Amino acid sequence: MGDVSAPDFLSDLPQSIIESILTRLPIRDAVRTSILSTRWRYKWATLTQLVFDEKCVNLSNDKTLVERNIVKFITRVLLLHKGPIHKFHLSTSYLESCPDIDQWILFLSRNDIKELILELGEGEWFRVPSCLFSCRKLTRLELFRCELDPPPSFKGFLCLKSLNLHQVLVAPDAIGSLISSCPLLESLALSYFDSLVLNIHAPNLKYLCLEGEFKDICLENTPLLVAMSVAMYMTDDIAEHFEQSSSCNFIKFLGNVPHLERLIGHIYFTKFLSIGNDLGSPPITYSHLKIIELYQVSFEDMKEILAVLRLITNSPNLQELIISGSSNTLAAIEASDLDFWEKECPLGCTFKHLQIVKMTDMSGVPHEMKFIKFLLGNSPVLQTMTITPCVYVMDGKLNMLVELVRFQRASAQAEIIFIQD
Amino acid sequence: MSEGAMAVVKPEMKSYIWLQTADGSIQQVEEEVAMFCPMICREILQTGMGTSKNYAISLPQRVNPAILGLILDYCRFHQVPGRSNKERKSYDERFIRMDTKRLCELTSAADSLQLKPLVDLTSRALARIIEGKTPEEIRETFHLPDDLTEEEKLEPLRNITDDPRIRLLNRLYARKRKELKEREKLKNVEVEEERVDERSVDDLLSFINGGDGDPKGVKASKNKKKNRRRKDQQKDSSSNNVNGNHEKELDGIRSGCHNGAVDDNSVPSPSKSSKLQDSAAVSFSPKLEFDDGDIDDDLDPAMKEELDREVEDFARRLNSVWPERMQELLSLGQERRLAPISMNGNGSTHRYASLDRR
Repeated sequence: MGDVSAPDFLSDLPQSIIESILTRLPIRDAVRTSILSTRWRYKWATLTQLVFDEKCVNLSNDKTLVERNIVKFITRVLLLHKGPIHKFHLSTSYLESCPDIDQWILFLSRNDIKELILELGEGEWFRVPSCLFSCRKLTRLELFRCELDPPPSFKGFLCLKSLNLHQVLVAPDAIGSLISSCPLLESLALSYFDSLVLNIHAPNLKYLCLEGEFKDICLENTPLLVAMSVAMYMTDDIAEHFEQSSSCNFIKFLGNVPHLERLIGHIYFTKFLSIGNDLGSPPITYSHLKIIELYQVSFEDMKEILAVLRLITNSPNLQELIISGSSNTLAAIEASDLDFWEKECPLGCTFKHLQIVKMTDMSGVPHEMKFIKFLLGNSPVLQTMTITPCVYVMDGKLNMLVELVRFQRASAQAEIIFIQD
Repeated sequence: MSEGAMAVVKPEMKSYIWLQTADGSIQQVEEEVAMFCPMICREILQTGMGTSKNYAISLPQRVNPAILGLILDYCRFHQVPGRSNKERKSYDERFIRMDTKRLCELTSAADSLQLKPLVDLTSRALARIIEGKTPEEIRETFHLPDDLTEEEKLEPLRNITDDPRIRLLNRLYARKRKELKEREKLKNVEVEEERVDERSVDDLLSFINGGDGDPKGVKASKNKKKNRRRKDQQKDSSSNNVNGNHEKELDGIRSGCHNGAVDDNSVPSPSKSSKLQDSAAVSFSPKLEFDDGDIDDDLDPAMKEELDREVEDFARRLNSVWPERMQELLSLGQERRLAPISMNGNGSTHRYASLDRR
């Protein structure tokens, strides 16, 4: 029995604080508070944020039993709940396409749902019901392994700020129109799409994250973009398609992002940027770009090197540069165009704010070394240059070091850190 | 420590804000520390109060001097701009180490001063305390009254995992109630019959005014009718006394129950069921096919206690095998069990096969 003589301080707290406390508990514990005392019976029932996963129920080896239990638990919580539900987060691999989920979404669409996150299992992808598109107040939508089919009358989520579609099956033209019909969209993440041709038209977009096979991407209207991360899986026919196109990818992608502060390009991104002919368009200055991370840059491909140089030389305020190489050690021992570095590379180009440089997966190929030399010689405030050789380089490490030691450094405080594992 | 003396000692004029707590005591605090609290900051800017002892800012009632001291310590640390996140975090971790009563008071006070970072910090701490504890432990930690009746806690529940042991408990409970109700009915019937007899004679005399074809026969049939009616009335009236919306509730439950008969997952609407639990007096129409649906509570308290004790006993016996799990399952849902029960082939339920009437 509870101690009646000592006063009960917890229940006297204002409801907003109690809800804040209950929201920080796993949903199961929050519902359990209904057994504490009469005052606590339904304190949990007005929570506006509901987060469900398989921890809500007792786990067992019987997968169908767990699935049924999760369904029951969520259905009951929703029915016992009263008031608006602003956030519904369901993340479990035990549930796949299941008719109950349709009903839950219908229920949520009638209860002012603002944030909906559905992460379901690997099997049959859940086909999102049309009632989702009538959730007027939706500000955040995240779907994993679903099928999305906006009805023709759909005018867009007018309040949507964050959209994250991961392994979502959706008609290619529907994606573009979905994005452009959400005027307030600030954060967009698309992953695991196949052969997507995308024109991104999002005037308020600040954060962009793309991962997948993109046949063509054009950032048509993203003037406020602040950070982007792109990973492009390129198959041979996509590469072919690019070779034949005449438009310049660099311009298409980075042509209209003046406020960009952080750029992360994963595999094939630089290759993507390098494709296309830029016919003398004026250089764009990325005056806010502070951090550039480029992975899997092939230092054998002159065009890729040019793309990288173009990027960093037009970023006067660059502070941090991370580049990882992907050269084929066998092919790159002999390199052509080595005199490019002496002749064509812009002299007088200084990286006035560059402080940190990390070069990883370096094979010691000539162009890589020339690039490092170029950076060292033109970075007056450089603090650290970290070089990590590629794991396949055995004997070449010594040669790399010998070359490195000779390079002139523009910054007296520069430390060259050679990582040996 | 007067302001004048301070001005002499220190090169910069440190200004102080005067704060008054609900108990009347006044203290002064460095201005930058006090301004860290949005509520105090606003008071100063909007009303100009706090600059002298006579015009001290009155703090909300929930802030007592001891708690104010804690809050000001917090503000004093965090208003210094140069601290790293790591420093702040480790300070916070040490700061919230206090007994739960004080933590609750602190939360309440911080909320009234609108000091959101501190409210978040204390809420997180309280959530961590609550998480993972059993209901008894939580009640003990926070001195919550255990004022739910055993019945409410052990009510026929939405059996989340279809556990046969909970269903057994429910059935036994329902059966007990039925038996007790039968006994009561019999008692009542006897009492009623006597009363009814007398009244019907008077009625007859006054209405019929004379002879009848078969007075006894009429009497008998009328008695029977009146018995039934009276029983029904008693049922209804006792329930009606408790809750005016009884009829509507019944309908709601009936429709809910019909769904329940078909689908295992149905639940009656929450507001109705809350009224149900509060009133604890609803009788289901016998048309509905539930074994333990007949949860009629017009038993007198002594009966109810006896029943509760028996059920508790049985529960304890079950509990001895798996106490925590029981508590968990029972605390979820809190709804009357309306759906029909289907027995699975669990060996332990073999003894109670007789309870299964289907």
